[in-house]
Amino acid sequence: MGTFIDYTVNGLVVGNIYALLAVGLALIFGVANLINFAHGSLYTVGAYIGWVCITQLHTPFWVTVPAVLIGSGGLGVAIERLALRPLHGTSRIAPLLATIGLSLVLDQVVQLVFTPNPRALPSPLPDWRFQVGGGSIGTLDLLILGVGIGSAALLFVFLRFTKLGWAVRATAQDIDAAKQMGVDTDRVNSTVFAIASALGGLSGMMVGMYYNSIDPGMSFDATLKGVVAQIIGGMGNVPGAIAGSLLLGLIESYGIALFGTSYRNLFAFVLLIGILILRPNGLFSAAKETPPEPMTGSFVARGKPIRIPMPGMVGIVAVAALLPLVAGDYVLQTGTNALLYGLLALSLTLVAGTVGMVSLGHAGLLAIGAYASSLLAIELHIPVIAAIGLAGLVTAVLGTALVFPAFRMRGHYVSIATLAIGQIVALVILNWNSLTRGPIGISGIPPLTIAGVPLYDAPQTYWFVLAVVTGLALLQARILSSHLGRTWRALRDDDVAARSHGVDVDRYKALAFAFGGFGAGIGGAVTAHLYSYINHETFNAQISVLALTIAILGGLGNISGALLGSALLVGLPEVFRGLAEYRMLIYGVVLLLLIRVRPQGLLGTV
Amino acid sequence: MSALLALDKVCSFYGPVQVHFDLSLHVNQGEIVCLLGGNASGKSTTMKTILGLMKPRTGSVTFDGKVISGLPTHRIIRAGIGSVPEARRLFGAMTVRENLLMGAFIRDDSAAVRSDLDRVLTLFPRLQERLAQRAGTLSGGEQQMVAMARAMMGRPRLICMDEPTMGLSPRFVDVVLELIATINREGTTIFMVEQNASLALQIAHRGYVLQTGRIALEGAARALAADPRIRDAYLGGEAA
Ligand SMILES: Nc1ncnc2c1ncn2[C@@H]1O[C@H](COP(=O)(O)OP(=O)(O)OP(=O)(O)O)[C@@H](O)[C@H]1O
Ligand SMILES: [Mg+2]
Repeated sequence: MGTFIDYTVNGLVVGNIYALLAVGLALIFGVANLINFAHGSLYTVGAYIGWVCITQLHTPFWVTVPAVLIGSGGLGVAIERLALRPLHGTSRIAPLLATIGLSLVLDQVVQLVFTPNPRALPSPLPDWRFQVGGGSIGTLDLLILGVGIGSAALLFVFLRFTKLGWAVRATAQDIDAAKQMGVDTDRVNSTVFAIASALGGLSGMMVGMYYNSIDPGMSFDATLKGVVAQIIGGMGNVPGAIAGSLLLGLIESYGIALFGTSYRNLFAFVLLIGILILRPNGLFSAAKETPPEPMTGSFVARGKPIRIPMPGMVGIVAVAALLPLVAGDYVLQTGTNALLYGLLALSLTLVAGTVGMVSLGHAGLLAIGAYASSLLAIELHIPVIAAIGLAGLVTAVLGTALVFPAFRMRGHYVSIATLAIGQIVALVILNWNSLTRGPIGISGIPPLTIAGVPLYDAPQTYWFVLAVVTGLALLQARILSSHLGRTWRALRDDDVAARSHGVDVDRYKALAFAFGGFGAGIGGAVTAHLYSYINHETFNAQISVLALTIAILGGLGNISGALLGSALLVGLPEVFRGLAEYRMLIYGVVLLLLIRVRPQGLLGTV
Repeated sequence: MSALLALDKVCSFYGPVQVHFDLSLHVNQGEIVCLLGGNASGKSTTMKTILGLMKPRTGSVTFDGKVISGLPTHRIIRAGIGSVPEARRLFGAMTVRENLLMGAFIRDDSAAVRSDLDRVLTLFPRLQERLAQRAGTLSGGEQQMVAMARAMMGRPRLICMDEPTMGLSPRFVDVVLELIATINREGTTIFMVEQNASLALQIAHRGYVLQTGRIALEGAARALAADPRIRDAYLGGEAA
């Protein structure tokens, strides 16, 4: 009984922290129709402002809290004004990608300033605990509960009883109609970003105190939890976001009590997928249909692709093939790495660009391929080259099956669902000890071997990967110009129309994911044999984001673009070695610049 | 005398597609002017241009002698233009009362807003008993009334209405047109877009006929109603 109360208190406290995040996401989604992937970064920034105030400046608590609110709120306003507002009227995916870019930049800046090491963030409150029916509740618990309830009450008063609050509600329902009532919707947007970011920052500071630890990597998880909570309550639904957060906090807490900590996120993401499938408008709305998202076609920026003539292509491949004659091992290893990312980008550019399902969990496919090939080679003693091929097939089947529930979703919902699926893959790998060896990972993976001859030196490996990439790229190009390719593009442009013309949309999407999964699975498998060691974090969400950046840099759907993008993004930071440390910052800046300057990518969308 | 609202040689575009070709028209103080035209002739685009929801590439819109093209929508509304948008666009999750108060968003004189609320409710007595109901649950005709009452709550000098009778039953169409005439008699100038030419011309003073982004005909309502070209094209001719 006592421990039950402890877990309940813990669930409610964590739920309140999520609520502070989710409420902001809901407000932003309401007025700007945008999932703010930079939200977790503001939470991190808030935590670090709190850390600077408390441990460096030794400010009293009543100064620290306003400093956190103003600092993170102000940053939110700046983000909206400088990075998002100029994107009004462009494609729907542009602001979403911009927030991803912003989060990369902010997280890396925090890391550069404060180092990646965790910091202790002590609570300034006296550490009293009160006994409640066998369990106990501490001062910090009460503070967090109080802040959560207080913020919710203030927000309620603001939305109900102030003019600006009315403007926020009206804008969330119909932005054009609100404008025609004389509402300055730009100001509404600024206000909402200010409130959301301030609450997010406060949440970060409090979570830091709760665990007495903060680090620059905490942002991604925070964004995800906020999004999950928001989806449980219904996108854009503010009271729903609070209820969803409390529910999520409690489920996690009881889940940890029953199964252990490593399962924590698994509950969140399985719940997310379940809700997206069964009640896409959240637990509190009966409607089965998600609110209309624009056609995927306008979700992605369009532009005329630049065609590289055939002799040019042959020339490029020839130069790439001759590279080992002049380049040293380091360059070739970088080249191999770029080619492997190219393989992933080819796969992503197919599903995101050609079919229009912008996946944020593509690294999950690499993980499946890598584990499949490693285990086949180690446990079943299958020759490496065959294991790689089989891993491609396993990834094609498993990847398609996993993403299948997202086939009927659109726009934002696809991105969230795939993000969650990618996380689920990593978490299953972490927890399925008997198969995957859990957190220990798999070591001693045999090297690439062809016909019994291991490829130990860099040129051979490079040639092998180059051959695989060239082959798959040619095959993909073939398919894109066939009937199948045209059907895929038709689905992307208007899947409702395609459905009503009797096209079996699910089957075509499955074909795309199968082909894409095959390529990515091969990529993951080859990587595993090159690394000889993998674990559940080898293929993390950052890789998914990088793959998307590469695909966008090259031009969505564009095959040569995917390869060019990966040569530029993976290759260049290695060539200029000093840049490697700033890698994520570079990716973020590239993403932000591209969206502004050349949203269709370097070679144009196809 | 200068007009209350004037469009001067407006050319507007959606991307590369041109919708208006040197469109010029004007509305005088106190008038009801209706803009007629078939589907896709550019009527709603005219409204969006006046309201600042899109900007003309060339040409200008003036209101009360000042150029308003290029201003953001909320400034145009504050200048004294009310809007009854196409398909009503109520705030569906808000109550009727909240919708009406949103109409008065630009005003700070809360006592006068309250008395205006009473005034519009005497004009639209049906809304009185629906005040606490969510606007999204009203019938189409009732929603149209809320949209008109909401526009009046801002005390505009000019109300722009985009197809106020669309989707209404014939009985309701008469009610709505009668209300428009009443609002106009009380001193508000009306610029309305209509497909239902014969009915609109009954209450309007003047009219324009828009054809693929150009004014094809213009004149006094009575003359237009009698014009055989209008009769063929819009009075029961071409289906709406
Ligand atoms: N948002 C938009 N983007 C691109 N083209 C548009 C857009 N809105 C309208 N158009 C095009 O502009 C032209 C004029 O449209 P508009 O809505 O002004 O016509 P309308 O006269 O109001 O028609 P209706 O009687 O059907 O309401 C049409 O060809 C339409 O397809
Ligand atoms: Mg129209």
